[in-house]
Amino acid sequence: MAARTPLLAILLGLAVLAGGLQLAGYDAAAALTSLWRGAFGSWYAFSSATLVRAVPLIVVGLGIALAFRGGALNIGAEGQFYAGAIAATWVGLHVAGRPAVVAVTAVLVAALLAGAAWVLVPIWLKLRFGVLEVISTLLLNFVAESLVSLVVQGPLQEAQGIYPQSDPIAEVARLPLLPGTRLHAGLALALIGAAALWYVVARTLWGFRLSAVGAGPRAAEISGRIDARRVTAVALLGSGAVAGLAGGIEVSGVSYALFQNLSPGYGFTAIAVALLARLHPLGVVAAGMLFGALEAGAGAMQREAGVPAVTVYVVEAVVIMVVLLADTGARRAVGARVAA
Amino acid sequence: MMAFTACSNSAPDPGVRVGLITPGSIADAAWNSGAYAGLQRIRDSLGLAISHVEARTPAEQDEALRAYASQGYDLVFAHGFEFQGAAERVSAQYPTTAIVVTSGSRTQGNVSPLIFKLEDASYLAGMVAGGLTRSGILGFVGGIELPPIKAAYEGWVNGARAVNPKIQTREIYLNSFDDAAAGREAALALVRIGVDMFHHNADAAALGLFQAAKESPGVYVFGANADQSSLAPERVPGSAVIDLPRALLLVAKAVKAGSFTPKVEVFGLASGVVRYEPNPALAALVPPALEERVRAAADSIAAGTLVPAARPASMQARKREAPRALSSALALDAAQSHRGHGGRRSTPVMVASSEFSAPLW
Repeated sequence: MAARTPLLAILLGLAVLAGGLQLAGYDAAAALTSLWRGAFGSWYAFSSATLVRAVPLIVVGLGIALAFRGGALNIGAEGQFYAGAIAATWVGLHVAGRPAVVAVTAVLVAALLAGAAWVLVPIWLKLRFGVLEVISTLLLNFVAESLVSLVVQGPLQEAQGIYPQSDPIAEVARLPLLPGTRLHAGLALALIGAAALWYVVARTLWGFRLSAVGAGPRAAEISGRIDARRVTAVALLGSGAVAGLAGGIEVSGVSYALFQNLSPGYGFTAIAVALLARLHPLGVVAAGMLFGALEAGAGAMQREAGVPAVTVYVVEAVVIMVVLLADTGARRAVGARVAA
Repeated sequence: MMAFTACSNSAPDPGVRVGLITPGSIADAAWNSGAYAGLQRIRDSLGLAISHVEARTPAEQDEALRAYASQGYDLVFAHGFEFQGAAERVSAQYPTTAIVVTSGSRTQGNVSPLIFKLEDASYLAGMVAGGLTRSGILGFVGGIELPPIKAAYEGWVNGARAVNPKIQTREIYLNSFDDAAAGREAALALVRIGVDMFHHNADAAALGLFQAAKESPGVYVFGANADQSSLAPERVPGSAVIDLPRALLLVAKAVKAGSFTPKVEVFGLASGVVRYEPNPALAALVPPALEERVRAAADSIAAGTLVPAARPASMQARKREAPRALSSALALDAAQSHRGHGGRRSTPVMVASSEFSAPLW
């Protein structure tokens, strides 16, 4: 498959956006200029808008890629993200006075464990009753969102007891920032995570098993003597843990408190990110940055050119559809060749 | 950061610039659209450069505040209580940008709140609803259970009970200001148990409420935050209005004149920014005697002799240390028409006399 398909998809998406804006009476050139400036126009824009938005997309995207590679369709990253955010906030409120390394580690580990715990139920339902994880993980998103609403109006509510949000977490529990920017150390974690996942899937036996199960669990069991159920379960567990970690990073690096609307739908956008990257861990980094850039640029486009930021979703949608169509087309072509 | 500052210094001085950050869509015909209308009026009547951006999540709100502040905007309206924390953090770094948090809680550096006592107008809407209801059951649909929204609810209930002490009420919070489908479902559920008069504070989610009213014979909705008569001309007897354009314009004028100083500004019925706006198309619905009572109540509220709803003193007060004696005295005062609601909360109330009769900048 051509690696340039995603690039063509992006150009096509931008062309569709430009055409639409022109038709709607906006100055498309000015809008796209603002889009560019907001994403890459300055070091501040790149570090503090693009990269900050990219971090959660990359981290959650890695989790999605891990699950999807193993054939487990984890649609519940949004819920796992929130589970991680809740745990991170709770720990972050209780670590004042500890050394920063201990505090931050505790916050992130808590988030990781909470994300993994949130996906345990779907794993159990799948192994025990064969319940499709697509359904169970998706439905648990709503539970997680309601749980956040509950805790920010209950046990984790700020001390005045008025607003539906938590108090700010302890200073020591916050990820260090790059001076002069909003960029936090979560980016380093995202890059390390991507490298680690790449190593696991490309260089280890377990990674090979994962891909084999993803390609065909029956075949993997029969001809490879792989315990497909176990591999899938571990992939789902890891996926949930990584999505939970993303929630912890967002609390510890950006919001410093728990809010009901902490995520603008990272768990879903990250599915698009992972698919655009064709589940390749390093591709997830690039795709996450692309989406981060588009959304950061969209903000600038609205501020400077008055174009509603939501129009940028058109670009994202076109990109995804082109890539999916190209993949399907390529698979058909391969199938035809095999049949012939 | 350095490069960015240098870059913005080299640009020619663009004059006074005003930014607006809304937490939701400006197509909500209420809270956000009102602020956007205010921003446009600032451009049209003061000739200032304006910019708007929507920012829903805490991360986006922080990013947007920093973007405006770092570009040297003179005034930024952060349109909602949820901006308070981020506004204070950003202001510490960029003290020259005046940040006004609508519905904010306190002044801090160059951050100041605008507080709207919508309950003043909701009380009047409640009086009309209390006079018009056939079933005797009133409904309220709120977005998220926040202090100003609870205050509006209590104003609505107290107003209705001032007219008819036997009024029953039902309230539903949607946990969303966007979900119009949820708003419609909530309203239909309440209609089924006999609610025939609605009030809301749910912005775009309330659009579903108007839809539900149109589908249900004999059901009326009182608008909130903006004059919403046009959303369902046959079904909206009136609206509890916050004249956001006027309030924002007053602030921008002060900034332009250089006379702006950060302080808590409270707008109630007396200011004219908050008011009850009847729908002329349904004027015949309201009997003259009731109309007279509403007018008298409006005068009492404006004069400060009638307190529509007790409010927690989130502004300026540090955690839970507002004077108790004062608060209970005011709570008693407010409880005269409360009937079961007055005693529900014993949190300190905002002192009525802190309201400026007219903006003082």
